Amino acid sequence: MIAPLIAFSLLGLILFYVQTLVLFPYVHLRLLALLLFYVGLRPSLPLALALSLVLGCLQDSYATTPFGLHLGASLVLVAVARYSRRGLLLQQLGFQALASLAALALQEVGLQLGAFMLSYQPLFSYNLTKVHSIEILSTAALGPLMHLLVQGVDNCLRRLGWRPRSDPMPYQPFGE
Amino acid sequence: MHPKGRYRIPLLLVLTLLLVFSVLSLSLKRSPALSKLQGLVVSMTAPGMEGLSYVGRSAKQLWLGYFYLVGVRRQNAELQGHLEEYKQREVLFQEAQQALTRLEVLLDLKRQVALPVIGARVIAYDPSLWSRSAIINQGKAQGVKEGLPVLAPQGIVGRIVGVYPEYSKVMLIVDRKSGADAMVQRTRIRGMLKGKGGNRCALEFVPKSADVQVGDLVLASGLVGLYPKGLVFGKVTAANKKNPGVFQEIEVTPSVDLSTLEEVLVVKVATLAFPEP
Repeated sequence: MIAPLIAFSLLGLILFYVQTLVLFPYVHLRLLALLLFYVGLRPSLPLALALSLVLGCLQDSYATTPFGLHLGASLVLVAVARYSRRGLLLQQLGFQALASLAALALQEVGLQLGAFMLSYQPLFSYNLTKVHSIEILSTAALGPLMHLLVQGVDNCLRRLGWRPRSDPMPYQPFGE
Repeated sequence: MHPKGRYRIPLLLVLTLLLVFSVLSLSLKRSPALSKLQGLVVSMTAPGMEGLSYVGRSAKQLWLGYFYLVGVRRQNAELQGHLEEYKQREVLFQEAQQALTRLEVLLDLKRQVALPVIGARVIAYDPSLWSRSAIINQGKAQGVKEGLPVLAPQGIVGRIVGVYPEYSKVMLIVDRKSGADAMVQRTRIRGMLKGKGGNRCALEFVPKSADVQVGDLVLASGLVGLYPKGLVFGKVTAANKKNPGVFQEIEVTPSVDLSTLEEVLVVKVATLAFPEP
């Protein structure tokens, strides 16, 4: 689990850099949340949980919200990804994007609830809600690209010799 | 399933949830351990951000200084024709320029004497819409402390809320946790300037009888001692008296563009409750 965790954490860090240095303040996207959702669709739950902690910690460190708010919201994403994976048997990219839309919306609800419970002034202004909605829709539209990116990282790791536990053992003929 | 494996996933989930709730609980108690963890994460990730930002700036300078000049050379030939026309005006402009430079030097000197400051470069922002904060490249090692105000030439930017060895976190005045005593310049009416997220603030607790108009400047009152008195927060962009309740709804837009900050000044004075001149 360590190799994919490092690889996906690095990918998350790169996406965070892109978001901060290139997209901000003109384009608002939740690339880390999308990455977490697509990693959550992969077989390994420990990897998804560990990545949610790493990325949640990264976001919380740069924000002024109470430490742990993004961490908790990341778990919501992982939970929705696991439910979608088991309950809806996601195979097509379109359905995955729709599921990611639902996950992002639930993450936002989780953030609002968390903020409310921690006595942090929640966001209910009309303009900001509109921006949040556009942000969630645009992020979900990028789902197929994120799917490819996650698959690309996976392929790179396999080329480097890493093999997930769920994969069958490679065939070895008897007598060799 | 192996008995050990059967409990692995529930145990993992319980441990993760416990961790998150413990972190949230520690966060509410302002635990120094969490502050150190934040510092560690920022110290590990901010150098990359700073490096990439430097590369981006260098590439931009290279483009503007060289490649872009290829096109500029063509324009230059056309502009030579207009040059003669402007030569007469040049003398006047030079006079004005020199006067401006002198005044700027004087103003800088006045500022330096009044408030000791540290120059800092903004290297990162919190890209989420949930909070408005920035990371600057000056930290504990340079004498930055929590609570110090951060300024830009156009006005107040925010204050330091986290100090790490080489970096600091600035809470911008539009952050929803930000609050400061402020006054309207024209009428000296006071209120509480609260961040509203996005790029807006609101001047709260101003009675409906008070005279506040769109375009009025909102300044720091200096009463609580967070920000130096008289520095500009922003301008009133909307004032509504038709809402229910006893207070007006006043929207203030910061005078500083808080999304495109590059260089800022950290005022090195812990308590800024200045006496009236």
